[in-house]
Amino acid sequence: MSRPLINRSPMPGLGLSVGVTLTMLSLVVLLPIGALLMKGASFGLPEVWAVVNTERTWAALFLSFRISLYAALFNLVFGIVLAWVLVRYDFPGRRIIDAAVDLPFALPTAVAGIALTTLYAPNGFFGQFAKELGFRIAYTQWGILIALIFVGLPFVTRTVQPVIEEIEREVEEASATLGASRAYTLRRVILPMLAPAALTGFALALARSVGEYGSVIFIAGNIPLKTEIAPLLIVIRLEEFDYNGAASIGISMLAISFFMLLVINAVQIFSRRRIGHV
Amino acid sequence: MSDTPAPQFRPANFRPVTTESPLTRWLLIASVVVVLSVLLFAPLIVVFAEALKDGVIEALASLGNRDARSAVLLTLMVTALALPLNAVFGVAAAWLITKFDFRGKAFLITLIDLPFSVSPVVAGLCLVLLFGTNSLFGGWMVAQGYPIIFAVPGIILATLFVTFPFVARELIPVMIEQGKVEEEAALTLGAGGWRVFFTVTLPNIRWALLYGVLLCNARAMGEFGAVAVVSGKIRGQTATMPITIEMLYNEYLSVAAFTMAALLALLALVTLVLKTLLEWRYADQLAATHRH
Amino acid sequence: MQIEIDEISKEFGATAALRPVSLSIPSGALVALLGPSGSGKTTLLRILGGLEFPNSGRVLFDGVDATGLTVQERRAGFVFQSYALFRHMTVFENIAYGLRARPRKSRPPEAEISRRVTKLLELIQLPDIGARYPTQLSGGQRQRVALARALAIEPRMLLLDEPFGALDARVRKELRQGLREIHDSTGLTTVFVTHDQDEAMELADLVVVMSMGQIEQIGRPADIRARPATQFVRDFISA
Repeated sequence: MSRPLINRSPMPGLGLSVGVTLTMLSLVVLLPIGALLMKGASFGLPEVWAVVNTERTWAALFLSFRISLYAALFNLVFGIVLAWVLVRYDFPGRRIIDAAVDLPFALPTAVAGIALTTLYAPNGFFGQFAKELGFRIAYTQWGILIALIFVGLPFVTRTVQPVIEEIEREVEEASATLGASRAYTLRRVILPMLAPAALTGFALALARSVGEYGSVIFIAGNIPLKTEIAPLLIVIRLEEFDYNGAASIGISMLAISFFMLLVINAVQIFSRRRIGHV
Repeated sequence: MSDTPAPQFRPANFRPVTTESPLTRWLLIASVVVVLSVLLFAPLIVVFAEALKDGVIEALASLGNRDARSAVLLTLMVTALALPLNAVFGVAAAWLITKFDFRGKAFLITLIDLPFSVSPVVAGLCLVLLFGTNSLFGGWMVAQGYPIIFAVPGIILATLFVTFPFVARELIPVMIEQGKVEEEAALTLGAGGWRVFFTVTLPNIRWALLYGVLLCNARAMGEFGAVAVVSGKIRGQTATMPITIEMLYNEYLSVAAFTMAALLALLALVTLVLKTLLEWRYADQLAATHRH
Repeated sequence: MQIEIDEISKEFGATAALRPVSLSIPSGALVALLGPSGSGKTTLLRILGGLEFPNSGRVLFDGVDATGLTVQERRAGFVFQSYALFRHMTVFENIAYGLRARPRKSRPPEAEISRRVTKLLELIQLPDIGARYPTQLSGGQRQRVALARALAIEPRMLLLDEPFGALDARVRKELRQGLREIHDSTGLTTVFVTHDQDEAMELADLVVVMSMGQIEQIGRPADIRARPATQFVRDFISA
């Protein structure tokens, strides 16, 4: 039983909306990404692999992914706590905090980058305490972690918040009447209900962090093999006019993004099947 | 009605079953406030503190030169071009996706969302590969005297790329929720296509559209990674505000860098305030995720 | 278990949900709290279950003051109007929940839990649905699962909030009979809230008619029908 490509509809504007959508999509997104893939294809897969399979590229890709993972894990836990506090508790300043959660979305990454660097540099407001304790935050992997936590902060909170609002109080009450302690209710009833949304937010934060550039390069120190992130390596290759090298790293990052998109979709389909909604 | 009030008593171990103990609550709130102070509020404060380190006059003076003005103008111009294009695309895509039934809809939505999961630097790289001097098309354009990369058109394209899904993402859930009965009613009453759109659809989606454009605007004015790759960073010509911040910062012109950063931070604050107002006032007309 | 409600009052802010009410429920009775919405019947049920705390008055279970007991300590089998089944758990896991939530030393072994859940599924006459999720059940099936889940903790009493409210007329009739049978076979003191006088009259041994936070009349269905105590009761049961 094959479905027609488009079901006939009395709605006007089909041609125009198809035209605008596909033209813009192709020109702005698809053609450029296609150009990257074409570049990779003409360079040759073995050659792409040869570029990726160098110590410096591996280190950069691994660093980007590893610290992004730590940052996203922090944001997963903190984001759930933050969402819970914002929805369930009433305290002075709650509305301001709720509005401020989106600051990382609104504040340009370069601004965040120089601000965080100033704060966490060895002579900065927070950095000096670290210095007294004998370690540095800015210009080390700790600095990258802080920047990536910053950019990924809103994702989990914003996906989980509406789900917490939707939880029926009766479900929590039912758990209590069945003898469960509050902690058991939170662990066995609330957390599983939040899990799909939290995982979606986690994956979004991770995807954002892996590709992040602006807020990281100021605080990272950018030492090859140690604090050099993958997007920076692309910029360096481009400045050397090594287009093949840049494209190779770009393709591997695209592959990582694509993989994460797949995971997000799989999680959503899985949870939709189980609880009937995301 | 009794004359004496009934004795009020509640045992210490009683509290509503749907909340945590006061101690847990206090600890959670405190941890949230501490983390957000260190990670969100402190950076915001430091931007203004560093900008005003040598006084207001010094700060304003740093914006007085030609390069700074050119950066502000360039950012405004790029945004002014990118926003309407994105809004038109967003409305067209949302119309297509919510008013028609066709195969591959989910795939189309995934494609529209794609820029969210692509690194801005990779986005810039893609544009360089497509339109740079080394490419077929880019080389031809340069020969004609219209370079795209290391020029303003490239910056606009990069901005369009990174902000691509914003408006569509905001409109699609709202328009799905509203269904298409109102449009169908207008059609049966004899209204033409544009009339239906401007008199029925647009009034229904205007706040959601504004919300999407607002987010789009914040990102467009602040985009750094994608623009850094395609701009070429030519002072007075292709340096946007974020690019100028980087150049000033790397030259240790701290006050100048932070003053320009403060301008963008103000924009971010205004964006947050407007966004919050929209969420309070027009919650029912925005996508469900923003209603809290 | 015998339940004694002694001068219980409850206010929400400035509005009185319950003016002091007193009520004695004999052990093993099937009692209906009948009244229109806003009459305080659900508040009274929630106070019995420990989900709300009264502003004044006492609740006694078998003569022992239970006012200060937490929900968990009351061991009341509570069936919610929305059933409040856990959507991410199977029917089996839902019913086993209360047993698994017990502290380790009083928790039955898994095999025992499994045996009890199977028995409860048989009691509600749905032996084959253990592996399903609540979203895959009909309204009537959900109600019975909620009942089984409440029974699994070996409750001291059964409290039901509008147990038939969300069901269509045919299923409602069927399930009334089911509740009667379960009550008779377990012998549990059972209190249910309803706004439907037919339901109260047909099912309950004892009907408590409530209005505006006060008890208008307590009596057997036949007595209430024959001799309504107030104008309100007369109007309400003839409606």
